[in-house]
Amino acid sequence: MNSVLVIIDKAPYGWEDAFSGFFVEIACLNRQMDADILLIEDGVYAAVDGQDSDNIKFPGVGELTYLIFPEGNLYVYEDSIKKRGINKEDLMETIEIVNSKELYEITRAKEAVIKI
Amino acid sequence: MESSPQKKTLTIILTEGPYRSQYADMAYEIAKSALNNEYNVNIFLYMDATHIPRKGQNPHSFPNVLEKIKKMVNRGADIRACVRCATARGYACDEKFPYIKGITITSVYDIPDWIKESDKVLSLG
Repeated sequence: MNSVLVIIDKAPYGWEDAFSGFFVEIACLNRQMDADILLIEDGVYAAVDGQDSDNIKFPGVGELTYLIFPEGNLYVYEDSIKKRGINKEDLMETIEIVNSKELYEITRAKEAVIKI
Repeated sequence: MESSPQKKTLTIILTEGPYRSQYADMAYEIAKSALNNEYNVNIFLYMDATHIPRKGQNPHSFPNVLEKIKKMVNRGADIRACVRCATARGYACDEKFPYIKGITITSVYDIPDWIKESDKVLSLG
């Protein structure tokens, strides 16, 4: 298998999962895999622009999102941001918003799908 | 343990610790079935799953997860724990090794390396 989709569905800072999911993604990219990230449910908060985690002494997840470019894509599920009242303007420029049909195609195209 | 190239390979990425959830037990049942069907089995312990192979567990209300881990190791499953996650939880590669025999502490780069050689990848947690 040489392609993987890493799914993150938990909010950054409340959980370790988003941080650790990006570590998996970066490792896969460094091994020349076709690796992308999908943010769904509360995971979409990891793509919000202007994150500042200094006050809680936790590494900034927002900074990690830039490390996956240009090799990896950062997909954000449209339905999840709508439900949370997040607008496209609130998110980083480097993300790609996907609808349900696109999500289906992305998932089908990957040989491995792992949720962190 | 070296994997057999002619066999199919299953990799399980486990992210939850023992007892609070049944993911470790589910991983054991899936791994056992895969081993019975002549698969090579890899299990990568990530985040709280790095608690699972710790020596000296004594749960009173649940079956001891260590017994299942030992069975998988004895049957040839390759079980590795993420060094970043393990170290954060106090499990270090020093002279007082915290895990049962057969578990290795390694890097997250084993995830892509294992995915590449796998026929099936599951994440549990």
